[in-house]
Parts: sequence; C-alpha cells; structure tokens
Amino acid sequence: MKQTTIGGNKRKAANMLAMLGLILIFAAYMFPFLMVVINSLKQKRDIIKSPFSWLYTIKGLSFDNFVKAFTQMDFLNAFKNSLIITVSSTILVTLFAAMLAYYIVRHNNMISKITFALMVASMIIPFQAIMIPLVSIYGGTLNILNHRLTLIFMHTGFSMAMSVFMFHGFIKGNVPIALEEAAYIDGCTHSQTFFKIVLPLLKPIISTMVILNSMAFWNDFLLPSLVLTDKKLLTLPLSTYSFYGTYSADYGTIMAGLLLCVIPILILYIVLQKQIIGGVVAGAVK
Amino acid sequence: MRSKENKKDFCMFAFPGLFCFLAVVILPFIYGIYLTLTDWNGVAKVKNFVGLKNFAGVMKDAQFWTSLLLTFKYVIVVVVLVNVLAFAIAYLLTRGIKGQNFFRAGFFTPNLIGGIVLGYIWQFVFSRVFVSVGEATGWKLFEVSWLSDPNKAFAALVLVSVWQLSGYMILIYVAGFMGLSEDVMEAAEIDGASGFVKLKNIIMPLMMSSVTICLFLTLSRAFMVYDVNLSLTAGAPYGTTEMAAMHVYEKAFTSRQFGVGQAEAFILFVIVACISGLQVYLTKKQEVEA
Amino acid sequence: MKRKVVARVIASALSAVLMTTMLTGCTFGFASDPDDPNEEVKEVPIDTSVDTFSYDSSLDGTSITLLNSKAEIQVALEKMGAAYEEKSGVHVEVMPVTDGDSPYTKVVSLYNSGNPPTLSILDTTDVIALAEEKAADLTNEPWTAEAEEYLTKVNGKVYSFPLCIEGRGMIYNKKVIEDALGEAFDPDSIKTLSQFKDLLDRLVDAGIEKPVSLAKEDWSLGAHHLQYVYEVYDGTSEGAQEVIEKLKNGEMKLESYERMNDFLDMFDVLKEYNVAKGDPLGADYDEMAIDLADGKTAFWFNGNWAWPNLSEAGAENEDEYGFLPYFMNDDPNDFVNQQIQASPSKQVMMDGQVASEKEQAAAKEFLNWIVYSEIGQQMLVKTCNVIPPFINNPYEPADPLSRDIYEKVQDGKAFNAAAIVPNDHWSILGAAMQKYLAGRSDREELIETAQKYWDDQE
Repeated sequence: MKQTTIGGNKRKAANMLAMLGLILIFAAYMFPFLMVVINSLKQKRDIIKSPFSWLYTIKGLSFDNFVKAFTQMDFLNAFKNSLIITVSSTILVTLFAAMLAYYIVRHNNMISKITFALMVASMIIPFQAIMIPLVSIYGGTLNILNHRLTLIFMHTGFSMAMSVFMFHGFIKGNVPIALEEAAYIDGCTHSQTFFKIVLPLLKPIISTMVILNSMAFWNDFLLPSLVLTDKKLLTLPLSTYSFYGTYSADYGTIMAGLLLCVIPILILYIVLQKQIIGGVVAGAVK
Repeated sequence: MRSKENKKDFCMFAFPGLFCFLAVVILPFIYGIYLTLTDWNGVAKVKNFVGLKNFAGVMKDAQFWTSLLLTFKYVIVVVVLVNVLAFAIAYLLTRGIKGQNFFRAGFFTPNLIGGIVLGYIWQFVFSRVFVSVGEATGWKLFEVSWLSDPNKAFAALVLVSVWQLSGYMILIYVAGFMGLSEDVMEAAEIDGASGFVKLKNIIMPLMMSSVTICLFLTLSRAFMVYDVNLSLTAGAPYGTTEMAAMHVYEKAFTSRQFGVGQAEAFILFVIVACISGLQVYLTKKQEVEA
Repeated sequence: MKRKVVARVIASALSAVLMTTMLTGCTFGFASDPDDPNEEVKEVPIDTSVDTFSYDSSLDGTSITLLNSKAEIQVALEKMGAAYEEKSGVHVEVMPVTDGDSPYTKVVSLYNSGNPPTLSILDTTDVIALAEEKAADLTNEPWTAEAEEYLTKVNGKVYSFPLCIEGRGMIYNKKVIEDALGEAFDPDSIKTLSQFKDLLDRLVDAGIEKPVSLAKEDWSLGAHHLQYVYEVYDGTSEGAQEVIEKLKNGEMKLESYERMNDFLDMFDVLKEYNVAKGDPLGADYDEMAIDLADGKTAFWFNGNWAWPNLSEAGAENEDEYGFLPYFMNDDPNDFVNQQIQASPSKQVMMDGQVASEKEQAAAKEFLNWIVYSEIGQQMLVKTCNVIPPFINNPYEPADPLSRDIYEKVQDGKAFNAAAIVPNDHWSILGAAMQKYLAGRSDREELIETAQKYWDDQE
C-alpha cells in the first residue's frame, strides 16, 4: 500500500519533470514562429535594428505588410492555383499509392519486388540529378510545361515512392488477409474488396499521407518554379518571389506573405489531426 | 486463371501509380546518367559522347570530396539527434499528458514551411535575433553571429535540420507507440520492469519497424540537404559548410561543369543507396515478427 | 471538442484580420512616428504627351516575354511593358528570376523546356556564354550607335543590349563627415590612399569609432572588390581581358603583379576601420545602409544599386551622397585614385533560336523604343531608376548615387573596364576573400589560392 503511494508520488514528480522539459523544448520550437509573427507587423528598419522588441518600435505596428503581401502576391489567384494543384495531386497520389502498395503486399511476384526496391532506392535520388533531364524531356521533347496538369502529374510521380512505402508498411502490419478472403468467398471482386473492405481500414494512414503530401505540395518551390512560368498559374510560394531582392530582402513582407501561405495548411492540419489519432486506434484490429 | 486475374490486378492496382513514378523519376534519372557520359553543358545543341571523362573530373574535384566528408559528419550528428529527440518526445506525447494533441500539432509546424523560407527565418534568427540577445545580456555565446564561425555555422545547420526533421519523425514514432497494445505495457508494469529495462526489452523491439522507417528517412534527407544549406549558410563562412548536394548544384550551374556535376550527383546517389540499404538490412533484422 | 474550439477561434481570428486589413488597411501603432509610416510609393510622373516614335502596326497583337534578373526593377519593368503595350499593341510579359535560381540556370532550364524568353536580362558573363549558341545578332540595330562605348562584342558581333551603367566605389555620406569634422568636405581633396587613411583617422578622433561598412557577402568580396585587380590593369576592358589571359596561361603571376598588392593595401585599410571588425563575417547588409544613413559610419563600399536600401533606411534624394575612388597607392596621378569604376553590368539578350520572326521584330522594336521614344527614355531613367548608357537620353537620374556616377561618367572621372572572369570566380575566390577578411588567412595564402584558381583554368 505504502509502496504504491511512493511510486505514485515518484511518478507524479517524473511526470511534472517531463512536462516541464516538454514545455521548454516546445518553446524553443516555437521561437522562430514567434519571431515571424512579431516581425510581420513591423517596418523593415525596426526589424533590423530591434528584431525582438514589440512595444518599442519607432514606426509602430501595422498590417501594412499583410496588405502589401496580399496584393503583390495576387493572393486569391495564387491561392486558387495552390488549392487546385494540392488537392488534385493529393487525391491522385493517395489513391494510386494505396492501390500500388496493396498490389505489392498481396502479390509476392517479381514485379512487386522490383517495383518496391526501385521505389525505396529512388527516395534517395537527389532532385538536382534529375532536374534538367526532367525539364528537357517534358519541356523540350513533349512541350507540356506550363500546365497545371503537368505539375499535378509530376507531384504524383515524385511522392509516389514515399507514399507507397508508408502504405506498404501499414497494410502489411494492419490489414488482415482473413477479411479479404472472407469477402472473396462472399463473391466480391478484387476491386470491390479493395474499395469496400481494404480502403476503409487504411483510414489512419490515409489521413497521415494526406497531410504529409498536401503539405509538401503546398510548400514546394523548386519543382513548380521549373514547371510553371506563366504568371496566372503561380502557386503561393512562387508568388512571394518579388519580396526577395537581389541585394536584400523585404523581411516584413516576406514574413507576412509566409503567414498568409501557412495559415490555410495549418487549419487543414488542425482539422485532420483528430482523424489521425482516432484512426490509429484502429490498429487494435491486429 | 490465376495469371489472368493477376494481370487484371496489375493493370487495375499497380499500373497508374507505377506509370507516374517511372515517367517522372526513373526516366529522367536514366537520361541523367546518359548525360554524365556526354559533354553536354546544359545549353548546347549537340551532345558528344565522352565516356568516363566526367568521372575523372569528379576525382580531380577536391572540394567535392571535402564536402562529402562534411556531409558524413553532418548526417551522423543529425540522424542521432533527430531520432533520440523524436523518440523521447513521442514517448512523452503518448502517455496521456494534458494537451498532448496540442503539442503534437506544435512540434509538427516546422514541416508546414518550405525549406528555403525556413532557412531565411533561421538566418534572421541567428544573425539578428541572437546577436541582439547577446548585446542585451552580454552572453558570450551570442556575442557574434553563429554564421560567421565555421564550427558554429555547422552547429547552426545541424540545429535547424533537427528542428525541421524531428516533427515528421515524432509523428511516425507517435503512431508506433499508439500501435503498441496496452496489454504489453500493462504486462510489463505488473512484472515490475523498471523504466530502462522496459524500454530496452519490451518497447524497443516492438518499435523497431518505426525505427527502421525513421532512420531511413532521416538518413536520406540528411544526405540530400540542400534547401536549408543554401538559404541558411550558402556554404558560408568561406565555403566551410558546403554539403555535397549543394556542391553538386554549384558545380553544374555556377562552375558550369554540367557533366561533372551530374556525375557527382550520381556518385552521391550510389553512396546514399549503399548506406541506407545497409541500414535497412541491419534494422530489419532487429524487428520482431508480429 | 476542445480542439474544435481552437480551430474555430483561429479561423475567425484569421478572417477578422483579413477583413480589417482589406477593409481599412489601417495602422495601429503603440509608439507611432508622427511621420506617417504608410509611405506611399513615390510615383514619378511620366510625360506621355509627346511620342514621335513610329510603331510597326503589323506587330499589333504579338506577345513577347522578358526574363528579368534585376529584382529591384521588376515592378518598374512591368510598368514599362504596359506603357509600351498601350502604344504598340505588343504584349510584354515580364518574368522574374525567382530566388534561389541564378539567371543562368533559369535561362538554361527555359531553353531546355523549349520555351525560352524572347528577351533576357543577364550578366555580361552569361551573355558571352550563351551568345553564339542562342542569341540573335544585334550588330545592325540603330541603338548601337548611341552606346558605342558600352557594347559587349563576341567575335566582333553585338549580341546584347546594355540596359544600364552601374558603378561602385566608396560611398560617403557628406553630412556625416562634415558634422564630425566641423568643416566643409571636398571629395576631390582626397587623392591618395594615405590621405584617405588620414581622413579616417580624423573621423575616429572626432568620435566615429569605426567609419567604414564592409559587406561580407561573397559576391561583394569576390566580384566587387577582387575584380578591381583585373579592371585597374589599365582601366579598359581590353586590358582586363589581357591580364586574365596572362593569368590563365601562366605568363603572369599574381604574386608579382603590382595591382594585387595595391588592392590589398586598400582592403587592409577598409578592414582596419570596419564597423563590424569584431565579427566581420556577421555584418548585415541592411544594417550597413542604416548605419550610413544614421551617421554611425561615414563610408560604405558599394555601388549605385545600394540606393533603394539607403532610401529605405531614411536617406532622401536631396541628401549628399557620392563616391570616392578605391584608392590603391600614394600616387595622385594614378587613375585608380582619381576615377571610379562604371560599366554596363546588365545586358539584354534576344533569343535567336526559338522566337518567331514576328516576336524578334517586336522585341527589337521594344529595345529601340527604350532608346528612342520619349516615353521609353523617361521610363528607363525615372521609373527603373537606372543610369542610361545611351548618349541620346536627355534624362538624369534622380537619386544622389546614380547622379554622382552619371556626372563622373560625363566628366571623364569614371573608367569603363568590365572584367570577364569565369562564372564561379565570385563564389570560389569570394570564399577566399571571406577567409582573409575574417583574419583566418594572410596575404600569402590568399594570393596563393587565387593563383591556384587561375592555374586550374583551361
């Protein structure tokens, strides 16, 4: 009896300590964002001379940077482009990757093995190594750059390997083959089985992949900058280009623009986070 | 019958994803390898076959090997720090602490921002914010910009990478911990296993599959660090923080030795492939068959 | 449950912020400056009433693209394109080179994508690298007659349009110097390195502890400082070319090249009086502009492109800023101590490979419009705020730095020597210069590194 109390106290103390450590690390994590938020409201001179202070700025705080960023970025149009590209690419890659991973897990043949090995290996190809060949094939030979569809296709291709890898691990560990066999006995076709039985079981990993992929697409800079040059097609990150000068950067506007880019995806994350956590419990089926 | 079904399955399930992947990643990659064997400079109309001349150029490029060595150093430090930190935080965040969902979201936020912008923010923090803290407090550590000293600049690069990469890994480790069944943990508790023993004998083996994934991801990402390298230090001070991927880019475009740069990218790929292959093989062996 | 609340709070806060911002664009200040911080971007009026330029009406409806690598004039170029479109019916799409890309990389990838810009603003070295392969021959364009001194030729042909003249040297803030010394300051009175050093010492005695700002960026050290060594061989582009050839083929060694040591003598002085001496590689570019405008320093080594930074830092068009030469020795008759370097740095190249005849004609007309039409002439100087290399352009730049260079060019107090160095010169030797600036290497090591760089060139 006594022992448990001591154990309990000890545990409580340990928990407190852990909590404290966590808060400290967390504060350190958030520090750069705090800097961004504070400085997005300040004029350049104040940002440079006193990045820390909030109250003692010479020129005061204002939303000017946001207004400037909003108009210079052509925010609504860029937002629309980003949204179309992110949503379509995310849907495509999630669906295709889930199917491909399912095929690989359930068919233990040469194609599966080679595909999987190739995908894992491809995750370590430096993008610099395929940048120019990529552009020269799709631009020079096929001449299909400067279309949203091309970018969506490329996003899908580039994140395929990573997504298949994640789905593969999940299906292998969490989707019992017994369920599928039962479905076949009931007369389901392969595709019915996949869409009706398997896909719902993948919900947790789908949430995870949707978040990870959509964030990567939303923020990507290098690939869109190679594919899209037409001003009407620019995505949000591309549209902040003009804040970076050759010799110096317009910090205030950059930070305001950054916040404008990040907020939509932050909301998505907050909304979907529940899904992931709720879904992971489904792993108990195992 | 079976093989016909298999073919249908292949077209239905595997083909769309495989096609995108092959067309966007593998085809350009192969074309890129072909380009290393030519004297194409990125602009010219004609490509002459030059055999392995570009690879000989790589051998002569001392800076490439220096940057590769530095990359190794960087990878080791980053991989260890990211995984230890992410594992510990994920552990804390699955013990039912108050506000753990808030924390999980918070730790992930660095991933919400692209690497280039992120580097700029940190550059601002290191060269302006820290220095002004130093001025105000007189702390030696922050007296001069971290980015002007080779060792501190390297530390800055590591710090930012850990900050950026760990959120992703926390997510994977959290999923791993949540996958551990309560029974296992409770059983361990009843057996009276102490914290460390519990960690070593019960948790670690069950977490090995998460560890495999996280190690692989951190390894490959750390090896290919580019965005943050470019925007945080750009190799400064005096070229002491130039990592391999950045060097490859510089070689191809700043020094305009496209073939040599492409060949260096290929060599980098082979090295990373070997190391991560070895890592996956070794950690897979530790995984418990579930 | 709780999280939903959080999400809702964030979302509504966000929309509130956006609403306020969009509706009012208001400022709320805790310690506002009475001078309104909402400075309107000053619009320089362009007089469009006179236009004698003859437009080719058959080009109406053509669309051309212009790749811009000079980010600070992006908006100005867009305005210029719009003004031209209004008159000619030719649409000019101005594409920026995004951050993280070099102009060269961008052009190369655009060529690879089969969709190159009709016109691209590039550095001279880029133009030379691409000219014979990609560019259209512009030798017979009328404007070549207006900028004879500033043309870049590749094997006797002109492939590029000089967009502007840029000059560099020691920027001074006259008021700061006069206030500190309590006497009038005549920039022409400084004729040698020793006199310059004396002036710095007097400023130190007068309370300006470290009167010089020195950028740590590799492009500044590698291109703007070190390239003097080649440029001041005899002050001409041909001379610079000659010295580079000699270095490449080993006829000349930097160690025994007098100008190398001259250059480092000046650089050592700057290093000594550097405001960031304690941490020279931690110097911040934007802060330098503020320091000079505020009078914390009196000198900044830079070029006329630094004006937007100074202006942001509070400098006004009416303030007296100007350039001193990059003094290298004590011979008052040496031209380096009398003149500053000014040459056309940005060039416009026209695509001759993919662009259609009509597009090429429209692009050529656009370039001529910039040189000959009343509107183009005004916009080049007033909207883009650059120093025109064309002798027929009657407009003078408005900001003190450009004006000073403009006047020096007119008075023969500037030399035009463009050194064409390999493209990685600024980055590799810029790093060597950083090391020297930080005191981590000595003269001998620096010269050795530079010598090795040249030995490795083919």
